[in-house]
Amino acid sequence: MTNRLALPHHPLLRTLWRNSWVLGVWLLLFGLLFWYSTLIPVFGPFQIASITKNSLPLVYLAIGQAIIVVAGGIDLSLGALLLLSNVVAARFMEGQPAGVVAAIGVALVAAMALLNAFTGLLIHRSGVPDIVVTLATSYIWSGLALWILPSPGGGTAPEMRWLFTGSPSGIGGSYWPPLLMILLPGMLVALWARNTRPGLTLYAAGSSRTAAQLAGLDVRQAKILAYALGGSMAAAAGLATVAITGTGDPRFAVGASATLNSVAAVVLGGIALTGGVGNLFSVVATGVTLIMLNPILIAMGVNSNNAQVIQGVLIAGVMMIGGLSTFLRERQS
Amino acid sequence: MKRRNRKTLGGLLLLILALLVAGCAAPVSAPAAPAAATEAPAQEGGFTIGVSNTLVGNGWREQMICAIKAEATASGLVDQVIVVNRNGGPTEQIADLEGLISQGVDAIILNPTDREGLNAVIEAAIAQGIVVVAVDQAVTAEGAYVVTNDQVAYARIGAEWLFETLGGQGQVVEMRGIDGVPADTDRHAGFQEALAKYPDIVVSAETFTGWDPSTGAQQALDLITTTDIDGIWTSGIDYPVVEQFQTANVPFVPIVGADNNGFVQQLLELADDGLVGAAVTNPPAIGAVGLAIALDALTGKNPEQVTLLTPALFDTSNAEGLQGLYAPDQQVGWSTYVNIPPYTSYSGSADVSACKAPGE
Repeated sequence: MTNRLALPHHPLLRTLWRNSWVLGVWLLLFGLLFWYSTLIPVFGPFQIASITKNSLPLVYLAIGQAIIVVAGGIDLSLGALLLLSNVVAARFMEGQPAGVVAAIGVALVAAMALLNAFTGLLIHRSGVPDIVVTLATSYIWSGLALWILPSPGGGTAPEMRWLFTGSPSGIGGSYWPPLLMILLPGMLVALWARNTRPGLTLYAAGSSRTAAQLAGLDVRQAKILAYALGGSMAAAAGLATVAITGTGDPRFAVGASATLNSVAAVVLGGIALTGGVGNLFSVVATGVTLIMLNPILIAMGVNSNNAQVIQGVLIAGVMMIGGLSTFLRERQS
Repeated sequence: MKRRNRKTLGGLLLLILALLVAGCAAPVSAPAAPAAATEAPAQEGGFTIGVSNTLVGNGWREQMICAIKAEATASGLVDQVIVVNRNGGPTEQIADLEGLISQGVDAIILNPTDREGLNAVIEAAIAQGIVVVAVDQAVTAEGAYVVTNDQVAYARIGAEWLFETLGGQGQVVEMRGIDGVPADTDRHAGFQEALAKYPDIVVSAETFTGWDPSTGAQQALDLITTTDIDGIWTSGIDYPVVEQFQTANVPFVPIVGADNNGFVQQLLELADDGLVGAAVTNPPAIGAVGLAIALDALTGKNPEQVTLLTPALFDTSNAEGLQGLYAPDQQVGWSTYVNIPPYTSYSGSADVSACKAPGE
């Protein structure tokens, strides 16, 4: 049968077509942003800074989840790691000078990378499914978070808040810091994953573990690396949270909903839950999209209780588009 | 090749979706155009009010929102009420408040998730000329209006009535709410204040109901069937406790509860069977008080920065007062004390339960 959707021959166009899902979700986001800007009286620097900074925790968590999913796993403990990072930061950064705060931040990212690398190793060694092991560790990290900070409190340095929000008080500053903080990690990770040997190993291991092993790739290392990166992104998400709110919040529900949202962003981003497929940069757009939905629906006058329903319908809709295209492809070939 | 095709197709479909979304934008945008002027002080009316709540599915909180809507309608000064209501912590509430600021509201009424975590966004709103009122729980932000129920007084007033009714001696049970929650801590302090004045009152048991009717009922049943009790103070889990006396067929003892419809009904109907009790108010209509204060601030009447609502007590000797509270058409959990003079102007439970904002 003839292929009706022939690939364009120009190299630039080819690259665009190959990354069409990424393009699609970014266009969707810009469509939504444009729509939102027509719904509210003013759309200016305040709104750009607000949307970007409020999206940071989810985007970081989604990048971390995406790496793990690409490598063939799934991590239900990322939200709990966010909690843990958030409360440790809030508890120990309060009243400290910028230097100490920076050191704590770096140490947290490294520590969570190690912690989650260990989880990855545990999954690989035990052969217990990712979903079971990470569900168990999620309870451990949430409990630990409550133990470190029993009730909301703590604080951080103004410099730290500026880095993630563009303002020492966490609101109403320049939008450049949050914009860079939201785009850079996603870009770097996406480029790294597509252009380096360890990055491509993640895709190979996620696509087919056996094939990757037979090709002489270190599957164990890939799994540990993916979980380590996921852990460090969760730590960054916790740091962004303390920068936005200026406090630590140890409540279990916060972590649980963050985990679910990260999976939603990954699914919307066209990253196959079966592993090995997808561009990591798309989750930056889908993370922001999920955050945007709430204010848009409110601005439209939709009852906020229905916002979640619509969010679910959107995810289901996008998933069906993916499923439909697979079906059509199979019909074609 | 195959994978590429699938992705291409998926991308194309997503693109179409994006275009559709962008296409939908045009017609919807038209009516939303008029921008609210936020800077002008002492306006005459036509206000847009934003409401932020972060605990969904809680009866008390839902009634609080409905009271705001009802008062907005009754005041005649409000054009629109925008309610942002979802479960979350400070992160979500900051995003919600920023969304309300972006929509150009004239005033924001919020039930805060954190005492200090929201200060920056609240102060940013105030800097833009938006009136901010925190209801139910306090915030420390400069310039914000705060309206709270006096929880210490809630427990002290009820406990003093109970101890007085018992003649200053006897064994009582303290049925608290949730350990560690500020309202519970404050109420316990109030209970202790009252207890200090009555040395012959003994607290024979202290339970945490979790403000859950079935938990409270079970605890009450265990207590009244196994121990000797002269009186019960509850932190609002009241009508299930009274029901247990009927179930176990045990004579009533004096009991203190809140202004829950079911309890008020029992106080009225079971008085002849020997029930003695008192309902202490903890009104979710505090939302309406918050709105009244916001409107005062918007119209240049300079209201008080901090308003502490002192609870009122209605006991079985005041049948007329209880009758005034009782709302036969509402659920047992409905908080009956909805009219709070001089703040509210709606006509009662019917208006609040209709839950209609202007234009709805």
